[in-house]
Amino acid sequence: MVACTVLSACGGGDSGAIDLNYYGDASQLGMAEIMQRCSEESDGRYRIIGNLLPSDADGQRDQLVRRLAAGDTGIDVVGPDVTWTAEFAEAGWLEPIEGEDAERATEGLLQPPIDTATWNDTLYAIPKSTNVQLLWYRTDLVDEPPTTWEEMFEMSLDLKEQGEPYVIGFTGAQYEGYVVGFNTVLASFGGEIVNEDSTEVEIDDKTVQALELLRELGTNGTASRSLSNSQEPEVFAQMQTGEAAFILNWPYVSSAMAAAAETDEQSAEVLDNLAATSIPQTTEDQPARVTLGGRNIGVSSTSEHKAEAFEAALCMASPESQVTQAIEAGDVPVTEALFERPEIREAFPQYEIILDSLQTASNRPKSPVYQNISTTISNVISPPSQIEPEETAERLRSEIQDALDGKGILP
Amino acid sequence: MAATNTLETPRRKLYWGAVNAVVLIYAFVPVIWIVSLSLKSDGELNNGRYMTTSPTFEAYQQIFSNDDFTRALINSIGICLISTFLALLIGTSAAYAIARLQFPGKKAIVGASLLVAMFPQIALVTPLFSITVAIGIFDTWLGLIIPYITFALPLAIYTLSAFFREIPWELEKAAKMDGATPYQAFRKVIAPLAMPGVFTTAILVFINCWNDFLFALSLTTSTDARTVPAALSYFQGATTFEKPTQAIAAAAVIITIPIVIFVLFFQRRIVAGLTSGAVKG
Amino acid sequence: MSATTTQPGPGRSEAEDEAARIARQRHNEGIRAERRFGLMLCAPAVIVMAAVTAYPIAYAVYLSFMRADLRNPSDREFVGLDNYITILSSPYWWNAFFVTSFITVVGAALQLVLGMALAIVMHRTIVGRGLVRTSALVPYAIVTVVAAFSWRFAWSQGIGWLAGPDSAPLTERWPSLFIILLSEVWKTIPFMALLLMAGLALVPEDLLKAASMDGANAWQRFIKVTVPLMKPAILVALLFRVMDSFRIFDNIFVLTSGANDTSSVSVLAYNNLIRGLNLGIGSAMAVLIFLTIAIVAFVFIKGFGTAAPGADGGR
Repeated sequence: MVACTVLSACGGGDSGAIDLNYYGDASQLGMAEIMQRCSEESDGRYRIIGNLLPSDADGQRDQLVRRLAAGDTGIDVVGPDVTWTAEFAEAGWLEPIEGEDAERATEGLLQPPIDTATWNDTLYAIPKSTNVQLLWYRTDLVDEPPTTWEEMFEMSLDLKEQGEPYVIGFTGAQYEGYVVGFNTVLASFGGEIVNEDSTEVEIDDKTVQALELLRELGTNGTASRSLSNSQEPEVFAQMQTGEAAFILNWPYVSSAMAAAAETDEQSAEVLDNLAATSIPQTTEDQPARVTLGGRNIGVSSTSEHKAEAFEAALCMASPESQVTQAIEAGDVPVTEALFERPEIREAFPQYEIILDSLQTASNRPKSPVYQNISTTISNVISPPSQIEPEETAERLRSEIQDALDGKGILP
Repeated sequence: MAATNTLETPRRKLYWGAVNAVVLIYAFVPVIWIVSLSLKSDGELNNGRYMTTSPTFEAYQQIFSNDDFTRALINSIGICLISTFLALLIGTSAAYAIARLQFPGKKAIVGASLLVAMFPQIALVTPLFSITVAIGIFDTWLGLIIPYITFALPLAIYTLSAFFREIPWELEKAAKMDGATPYQAFRKVIAPLAMPGVFTTAILVFINCWNDFLFALSLTTSTDARTVPAALSYFQGATTFEKPTQAIAAAAVIITIPIVIFVLFFQRRIVAGLTSGAVKG
Repeated sequence: MSATTTQPGPGRSEAEDEAARIARQRHNEGIRAERRFGLMLCAPAVIVMAAVTAYPIAYAVYLSFMRADLRNPSDREFVGLDNYITILSSPYWWNAFFVTSFITVVGAALQLVLGMALAIVMHRTIVGRGLVRTSALVPYAIVTVVAAFSWRFAWSQGIGWLAGPDSAPLTERWPSLFIILLSEVWKTIPFMALLLMAGLALVPEDLLKAASMDGANAWQRFIKVTVPLMKPAILVALLFRVMDSFRIFDNIFVLTSGANDTSSVSVLAYNNLIRGLNLGIGSAMAVLIFLTIAIVAFVFIKGFGTAAPGADGGR
């Protein structure tokens, strides 16, 4: 089964080149360009074929896992989301990257993204992009952005009293994005969801504190009515339509708002006063520990061309590729030095905050059963307004432990 | 066909016109919302209005900007026409036998075909994936056509045999006694009576195939066989967290058009079937 | 079938006996030929269905008795009915079961009533029949996931035209369930209507006329003449709708992804089988869904008696 997509310019020239099949985010903007450039740079040794997977992460994983589990030798390069890396590594689907290769793969990279690609102290993939949420706020409503959640709640309630836009936009729907938000709050309090090697659930007073905060957001009248139905697009819309004064969302907000502002006055007005800062802290003295997003890229253990596949993966994650992806798709680079580049600074006007946040960022639980943990968490803590901190923490304890042990059923 | 007891008075026409209007509202209000979404600009998308005020065809240009979508459209049309034709061919013969003939195992066949329609398809996808890969029809038209026929058959057999049972087969005998050959009796008498059932089934089978997402996604990997519903899921927003809402809506609008044409064509056949139904008297 | 067997008697000639024997033989041959022909006609359908689904279904049933994780093929173990016990003792399952049953029952009732109404309009209307028939099928033709997505958008607070600036129906259980129902029913009425319309076409006009002359009003004609004649069409339409509704997935997945206790059994099966990669539990759920549908279908077919396909006593 040879897959020819438009991206790969099928049948074109260089005979003798090996076809390397990439399964990941091939449909992402900029990826076609990257794959073509990397193929050209191989001097005819290989040609990367981008096999399209659905654009949503869950859809990608469904398809990818099915093929990997079937031992599909047609997969050479794999692009897992940061949260699947442990799962793929544990299942033996990713080739470990060791010794000199590991050094080449991590040269100049920020440490938190490297952690996402590491499982059991072994590197299994090359970090390709990362991402952190920011606090977007309206400068015409508040002079100084809030630094803590407490402060943000106060500001929001004040604005509400004055009849101004006041909503705090947060991804509180029952899905992965809510787990990202929960993890950020929990990590900022200093808590963890599971222990280091992902065998035991860790529920303590920090979990309860984090749940208390989410409950407060859900009940104190600062959130949108549709909090428990809000994913990124809805949160963005809350800012765009002038309902929100603050939103927690990814860096794409500025470019998306600019695109909307071209045809919409309301958006243009918001854009004029839109600014970003780091995610609010949970405590006065500790910086927030924002949850990392992003994607890694690795070599499939069933590949028949592992050496070439590794070279291709390196190229697709190279600084140059990162720049292309940053400009085309708004994905944040993982190579620290790139933040010095003018084109990156232009793509992410908030680069300083992003870089700062990356230094203290946290990871979602690294676990071979992360999907199970995540599905459980998002169900147990939904909707935010129904959280009973102590009780919910106990439910989290027993149900996450079941997920780790492979017991019970997923909600 | 003018039903004999309905006089086409202006009042009756007005009455039916009003009833039709209700049907059109039911059918089109949500559809126009999808059309409107496909025409909205990024700025307008979230403004909560039903209609777009400054329509843009950007989304349509976007989906036709490369030939992926066109190829998916061709795949969809080809795969679904072939599947529908074959499913009807196989289904009609089985349904005829079930409705008209006595033979052992009939009930078992009817029961087993229901079984196929009852089993949750998500539990069948992974083994089907392995099978199609193993026999080398993964990511081909055939690799989709075979499952589509299979999962269309229960509905086809049930619908068709239900209709065949209601056909007054005595007419066939009568025609033969009047000197018609068996073929003529079938063509002139039975086939027209069977047509409403056959074309109804054709429409349902075709639409089911056209809308299938699960198999289209799981049993294809390239533009060789990928159909439109699967292609939809590959649409990418401007950045990772943006949904390509307008492009998806636009694609949904585009792929509904062939169905409308297909139905327009076949609904005439249903009418034709009905008219000859008058023969029955 | 009245077998006309004539007993050879003392008053009969040899020739007469011979003729009777040949007639009997012909008759038997006829039965045999009919059997052969019937099986031959069904063979392609049976072969295709068996070839495609026998192994996957058998495999799913096998997995349902195993502890099996897709990520770890070597760690499989026979666990008997454990998976079933785990599922049936989980509140998640029973909640999903309730939601699914609710949607199936209410949805099927609405679809039947509204579908019948639509079928009658499509059948009887005297103006713009082609337009009505084609338009009425459009909802069924829209790709389900896109239709569901557009409903979700329409019901989202602030950005959709159906939700006001201050209402967020998709954040509450019952409003969500009604939106799911609306989306499901809107989409599938045409399926029902089309099948019922083809059934209506089989009701002879003169029978209705005769009933009319006997003084039956429109409602009586509908109940006493039309409905009994349409029984097979109603059975098939309802049966397939119920079977499909009970496996409802796309609409819920897109509209709520199961939030606020709106999961259906198929969403649950998806989460365990495809997302959680727990082949044992996921397959057991599939088998349970299958068994539930099978029981419902059995009751249906029994309830409809001889109107069911394959039952004896057809014309």
